[in-house]
Amino acid sequence: MNVFLWNIILALAWALLTGHFTVNNFTAGFVLGYLVLWVVLSGEAKSSYFKKISLVIRFAFFYIWNLILASLKIAYDVITPRHRMKSGVIAIPLDAKSDLEITVLANLITITPGTLSLDVSTDRRVLYIHAMYIDDKEELIQEIKTELEKRVLEMLR
Amino acid sequence: MIEIIVTILLISGAAFMLLAAIGITRMPDLFTRMQAATKAAALGASFIFCAVAFFFSELGVTTRAAATIIFIFLTAPVAAHMLGRAAYLLGVPKWEGTVTDELRDRYNLEKGTLSSKSIDSIKKIPVYKQP
Amino acid sequence: MNIAEFTLLSKGLTVTIALLMAALFLAFIRLIKGPTLPDRIVALDLIATLIMGFIAIYAIGTNKPVYLDVSIAIALTSFIGTVAFARYLERGTKND
Repeated sequence: MNVFLWNIILALAWALLTGHFTVNNFTAGFVLGYLVLWVVLSGEAKSSYFKKISLVIRFAFFYIWNLILASLKIAYDVITPRHRMKSGVIAIPLDAKSDLEITVLANLITITPGTLSLDVSTDRRVLYIHAMYIDDKEELIQEIKTELEKRVLEMLR
Repeated sequence: MIEIIVTILLISGAAFMLLAAIGITRMPDLFTRMQAATKAAALGASFIFCAVAFFFSELGVTTRAAATIIFIFLTAPVAAHMLGRAAYLLGVPKWEGTVTDELRDRYNLEKGTLSSKSIDSIKKIPVYKQP
Repeated sequence: MNIAEFTLLSKGLTVTIALLMAALFLAFIRLIKGPTLPDRIVALDLIATLIMGFIAIYAIGTNKPVYLDVSIAIALTSFIGTVAFARYLERGTKND
């Protein structure tokens, strides 16, 4: 089921990139996507996909709003002559376990202005991030864990 | 109406990109430069592509613009992450205003592992030299 | 649809190109100044994104959406380039 969905997504991406929404083009994308999945996939993934769509949409709006706020904060620091920032590398304990969860979380942290994920420890318990505003370390960690990680895990589990 | 939307999107997108460029020249060390450059530039590019989608308002163009925005937001963090990690391993000098560095001394460069607790690594991160 | 019909938009395009040129200039300063190789790579990445913006604006100015394909290609190659540079830098740390 889930593999079928991925196949549809790949076919859609093909149709998007070539820019022709004809049946022939979509079929060509479907066949190509089938070949790609046949090469890439191993093991099986999970289903229960459709009830999570509302979660994803709400998260998208929340995240875009956060993105713009954080950009303005950095913009202020870039334009004004003094640097108010306190940068540093901090460790965030991870609740996310699988490859997918950690990847999505790390990418979302990187896209948020002000934080940049650097590396994951080999035992996958800690994510090291570079942050620009470490006014209170515990507060920053709590913020990332409750606002980002909890929502990501809700969506992916 | 569309003209106003497109103009606003274009100018704000270009302003974000200029902000990224100012950030890259003004920020004190590599990591803060990356923070300023990659995200603001990605945001600015997506604003400009939104403007393109509004201006042409054809299905083919809109889907291509959307695909480009999605692609930018998928690849920008991956590139930033890889570059940041490589730069940290190279020992690129950090700003003197850096408060904490919890990643220090946790790499074991011989085995290529990264501990979650502080250890005495066999090899310290070297001082940066031009490769 | 012709660009000459839009007076506000053609002024907006001029402003946008001026802003992007300033950004390109600043990115070039960082590219030349360095001081380390990763700094230069970040500057190159930024320049690639700026050029994508230029091409998108050019597509609006000439009213030819075909140019968008060029900026998609630049997005792809600049990503591959940055990743390749990062791999190269990291290999340097593991071998010595």
